[in-house]
Amino acid sequence: MKRDFQSFTLYMFGFLLLWEWLRPVEQLTTTDHIEMFVIFILLSFTLAFLRMKWIWQTIIKLWFILFSVNMFHYEEGFFQFSWITFFTDDLTTNFSRIVARNWLGLTNEFRTFLLFILLWLMAYLVHYWLLNRKRIFIFFFMTLIYITVLDTFTLYSAKTAIVRTVIVGFAVLGMLTYYRILARENISGNSFTVRKWIRPLVIMITFSVIVGIISPKFAPIWPDPVPYLKAAGNKGGEDGVGKGVAKVGYGTDDSRLGGSFIGDDSVVFRAEAAEKNYWKVETKDHYTGKGWIPSESTLSRIGGEDLIPVSSIPSNVETRDENASLFMFMDYDHLIYPAGIQRVQFQRNYILEIDSIKEKVSILNGFDSAPIAPDSYSVEYKVPKYQATELRETVAADPNQIDAEFLARYTQLPDNLPDRVKELAESITEKETNWFDKAKAVERHFGGSGFTYSQSDVAVPGENDDYVDQFLFETKIGYCDNFSTSMAVLLRSIGIPTRWVKGYTGGEFLKYSEDDSKQIYEITNNNAHSWVEVYFPNQGWVPFEPTKGFTNSVSIDFTNNDGTTPAVETTAPMAPKPQESLEEDNSKTEKTEQTFSFSNFWLSIKTFFNQEWKWVFVLFVAVIGTTGLMYRLRGKWIPRIYLLQFRLRKRDENIGKAYLILLEQLERYGLKRNEDQTLRNYARYIDTFFASREMSKLTERYEQYLYHQKLPEGSWKDTQELWENLIKKTIA
Amino acid sequence: MALENMNPIIEKILLNIEKVMIGKRNVAELSLIALLAEGHVLLEDVPGVGKTMMVRALAKSVNANFRRIQFTPDLLPSDVTGISIYNPKEMEFQFRPGPLMGNIILADEINRTSPKTQSALLEGMEEASVTIDGVTHRLEKPFFVMATQNPIEYEGTYPLPEAQLDRFLLKMKMGYPEVDEEIEVLNRAQKVPPIEDLHPVVDLEGLQSLQKEIKEVYVDQTIKRYIVDIVNLTRKFHSVYLGASPRGSIALMKAAQAYAFMYGRDYVIPDDIQYLAPFVLSHRIILKSEAKFEGLTAEEIVNRVIARIPVPVQRLVK
Repeated sequence: MKRDFQSFTLYMFGFLLLWEWLRPVEQLTTTDHIEMFVIFILLSFTLAFLRMKWIWQTIIKLWFILFSVNMFHYEEGFFQFSWITFFTDDLTTNFSRIVARNWLGLTNEFRTFLLFILLWLMAYLVHYWLLNRKRIFIFFFMTLIYITVLDTFTLYSAKTAIVRTVIVGFAVLGMLTYYRILARENISGNSFTVRKWIRPLVIMITFSVIVGIISPKFAPIWPDPVPYLKAAGNKGGEDGVGKGVAKVGYGTDDSRLGGSFIGDDSVVFRAEAAEKNYWKVETKDHYTGKGWIPSESTLSRIGGEDLIPVSSIPSNVETRDENASLFMFMDYDHLIYPAGIQRVQFQRNYILEIDSIKEKVSILNGFDSAPIAPDSYSVEYKVPKYQATELRETVAADPNQIDAEFLARYTQLPDNLPDRVKELAESITEKETNWFDKAKAVERHFGGSGFTYSQSDVAVPGENDDYVDQFLFETKIGYCDNFSTSMAVLLRSIGIPTRWVKGYTGGEFLKYSEDDSKQIYEITNNNAHSWVEVYFPNQGWVPFEPTKGFTNSVSIDFTNNDGTTPAVETTAPMAPKPQESLEEDNSKTEKTEQTFSFSNFWLSIKTFFNQEWKWVFVLFVAVIGTTGLMYRLRGKWIPRIYLLQFRLRKRDENIGKAYLILLEQLERYGLKRNEDQTLRNYARYIDTFFASREMSKLTERYEQYLYHQKLPEGSWKDTQELWENLIKKTIA
Repeated sequence: MALENMNPIIEKILLNIEKVMIGKRNVAELSLIALLAEGHVLLEDVPGVGKTMMVRALAKSVNANFRRIQFTPDLLPSDVTGISIYNPKEMEFQFRPGPLMGNIILADEINRTSPKTQSALLEGMEEASVTIDGVTHRLEKPFFVMATQNPIEYEGTYPLPEAQLDRFLLKMKMGYPEVDEEIEVLNRAQKVPPIEDLHPVVDLEGLQSLQKEIKEVYVDQTIKRYIVDIVNLTRKFHSVYLGASPRGSIALMKAAQAYAFMYGRDYVIPDDIQYLAPFVLSHRIILKSEAKFEGLTAEEIVNRVIARIPVPVQRLVK
C-alpha cells in the first residue's frame, strides 16, 4: 500500500511537470483541444501506475488517440468506420511527405497524431526516470529552461508556472533522493523515516517559495535581450532595419526618421556662457507616423536687435537674465539660441526672419534680405526657474486657458497610430493626475532597463510601421530622435500638447573665459540633439529630456510641495567636469579661511558617496571580484612565482621549501594527502595519477633532506627539474 | 618498494630462507630484523606451519648454532640454563651448559612450562647472561630467541605475564600458507629437505658487524618525535588499560633502524615506523576488558593510533 502511495505521488508529480510543457502550447500556437492531450498524459500515467500489461496499455492509448483524432478532424462518428480509411490514407501520404522532407505539407490530422506519439514517448521517459533511474533533475531543469525561454521570447507569462514547477520539481527531487538513499544504504523505509525526510522537505520548499514570492524583485539589470536579438536577426533583412537613412549632424528634413546616426566631431560653434545649457534651432509640430514636418509656416521679419517673439516665458515664472556669445565654425543662416531667448546682438546690422510655428529664426542681410551666416553673435536670454506646485496645477486642458486650435495642433496624431501606443501611455501615467507628473512618468519610462541608447543599428520603419510604435514595442534601440518623438507622441495620445525640439546639447567644456566669469563650450555635430517641450497653460513650454543618458539642466523647485522632496532639483549637467572643477576652486579658497572640521569632512565623504556611489560600488565589486578570482586561481599563478624564484636562487636546501609548496599545490589540484599518509605512499599515489615516477624520485630526495638532514652536493639541479615538471603538471 | 635496493647480504639471507620456506617473506624479514636489532621474537601460532624450519634456515644462513627447547610443564629452569654436576673424577662441580647456551634458540610452546622456567629463559633474554650457583655465565653472542606460543590450548598453559611480554622485540603471527604455496610445500616434501644443503651467507662475526652498523642508522628528531607521539597515544587511547612503555619506544626505534638498514637506507623514514608499529607495540598494550568484549584487538588499536598521528613532513622548528 505504501509503495503504491509512493509511486502514486511520483506519477502525479511527473504528470504535473509534463503538463507544464503543454500549457504554453495552448496559448502560443493554434492548437485546440489541449485538454485532450492533457487527458492523454494523465491516462498514460494512470495506466503505468496501475501496472497494466503493456499490450493493454498500448491498445487503450491507441484507441484514445484514434478517438481524439476522429473527434478533432472528422465529422463522422467514431464508430462509422469510413473515416479510418481516410485516416490511413492520410498517414501514408504524410509518411511519404516526411521522407520528402516536405514539412509544411503535413496535414493537421497527422500533426495531431504525431503530438500524441511524442507525448506517449515523453510520458514513458518521465516514468522511466522517476521509477527506474530515480533521477529527474535533467527533465526538471529542461522544464525550467523551457518556461523561462518562452517567458522571455513570447507572450507567455510564466509567473505562476515557475512557482508550480519549482514546488513540484523540488518535491520530486527530494523524494527521489530519499528513495535513492534508501536503496543505496539498504534501509527499508518506514513511516518514521518518511516523516523524518518529508517534514524538512516540505518546510524547506514552503519557506523558499514564500520567500521567493514576497521578496522584492528588482527590475532586470541587463536590458531586455530580445530587441537586440531581433535587431541582429533582422539586420539586412526585410524590415528595412538599418538600411539607408543615416544622419549626420544637424539636418532640416525630419519627415523620415530612423536609421543609423553617424558620428561627426566637426565643430559647429563655441559658446561662452555662464553655464551649460541646451541650444535650440527649431521645433516641429506635425507627426506623420514616419517623422516630423511643420504644419504651416508663418513668416515675419523684425529688426536685428528687436525682442525675439519665440519661447516666451510667462511673466509669472521666476527668471534670471543671462547672456552668452556664440562663435560659429560652420555657416548656418539660422540662429542657434538657448530657451528663453530675448535679443541677439550682431556685429553688423542684420534683420531676422521668424517662423512662429517652427520658432526658427533666420538671419538675413540688411540690404538685400539674402540669408547670411554671421561669424559670431551674442544672445540675451532668461533662465526660468519653475515651481513644481505650479507645474502640477494643470490636470486637464481647460478651454479657457488653451485655444482649441492650438490644442489640436499640438496633440495631432496620425490616424493609423496603433492603439497600443495610447494604451501604453495610459498605463504609464495611470497613477498620475496632473500633466507634469504624467510627463515625468513618461520621461522616466524611457530611463528604464527596456530601452537602449545606440546610434547604430537603429531601425527604419517599414511601409506599414509607425516610427514610434516600432521603437516602443519592437526594437527599443535608438537615439534622441526615437526617444523624443516617442515621448511627444505618447503624451499627445493622452491629450497633453507637446512639440518636438531640435538643436544641440551643451557640448564639451573647453576652458574658462579670460576673466573667468564664463565657461567656454565647444559644440560639434555629435551634439546635435532633439528633445520634447510640453505646454503648460500657466507656465509655457517646458523642456523634457527622455533620451537615455542625457540630462537637460532645467531647474524646477520642488520645495513648496508639502515638503516631501525638499530640494531644488537641478538636474546634473551632462559632463560634470567643469562645474566640479569650479567647485573645487571655490572650496580651495574657502579652505584657507576655514579650519578643518570633522563634520565637514564627513559630509564631503557622504556627498562623494552619494554622487559617486555607482562607481564606488563598481570599484568595490571589481576589487572583490578580482581578489576572489586571484584567490580562486591561486593554483595557477603562485607556483609560477616560485618557479621564477627557485630559478634565481639555486641552493640544495631549496628542496625543503619547494617540496612543501608542491604538497600544497597538489592539494589544491585535488590530490589530497591524508595526515597519516607517508610521503612515500603519497608519492606513489601521485605517480600513478600522473603516470610518471617523478614524485617518487623527488620524495626520496626530500626524505633524505628531512629524515637524514643530509643532501648530496649539487643535487638541486635534478631536484629542480623534477619539481618543475610536477608543478607544471598541476598548472596545466 | 620499487625504489629500494636491499642490503645485499640481507637479501642473500632472505633468499636462503626462502629456499626452505615457501612464502612468508614478511615473517622471515621480521625475524631477521629482530636478530639484527638484537631482540627476540614471539611467534604466536599453531604448530606445523614451519616455524622450526625457518629458524633453522636462519641459523644456518648466519652460521650460528641452533638449539631447540621444547617446553613442557615439568621442565625445570636448570634444564634450560644448564646445571653444575659433581664430577667424581675431578672431584668438583662442573658446569654443564643447557640449551640456552647457543646462538639461536627456538623456545617451543613457551606457555606450557611453569612460570619459574619461563622466567629463567626471560632473564637470560634480557640480561644476556645466566647465574647458576652464584656463577654468572655470559651467553653467547649473538643471542636470539624465537619463542612460540600456541594460542589454541588454554588447558594446562601458563600464559606469559604482560610485563614479561615486553621483553620480546616483536610479536607476530605466521599464518597458514596460500593454496599455491601449500601445494609447493607438498612438492618439496617429496624430495630431500633442502635444509641440509644450505650454505651460510655470513659468519657470526659478520652478523655482529651488521648489528653494529645498524646502531649507526640515523634517526632524525622528527622521527623520534613521531615514535614518541605514537607510543604516547597508546597510553592515552580510550579502551587501552595500559599503553606501551618507553621500552616500547626504544624497541620501535631499534626495529625501524634494522628495517631501514635492510632496505639499504642509513636513515629511518615514517614508513618504517608505520610498518613495524603493530608488530612492536601490540603485545605491549593491555586492553580494557570492555574493548576485548567488543572484539577489538591490540593490532587494531595500534593501527588506529597510527591513523591519528600526522606524519612529519617538515623539519621541526627550532
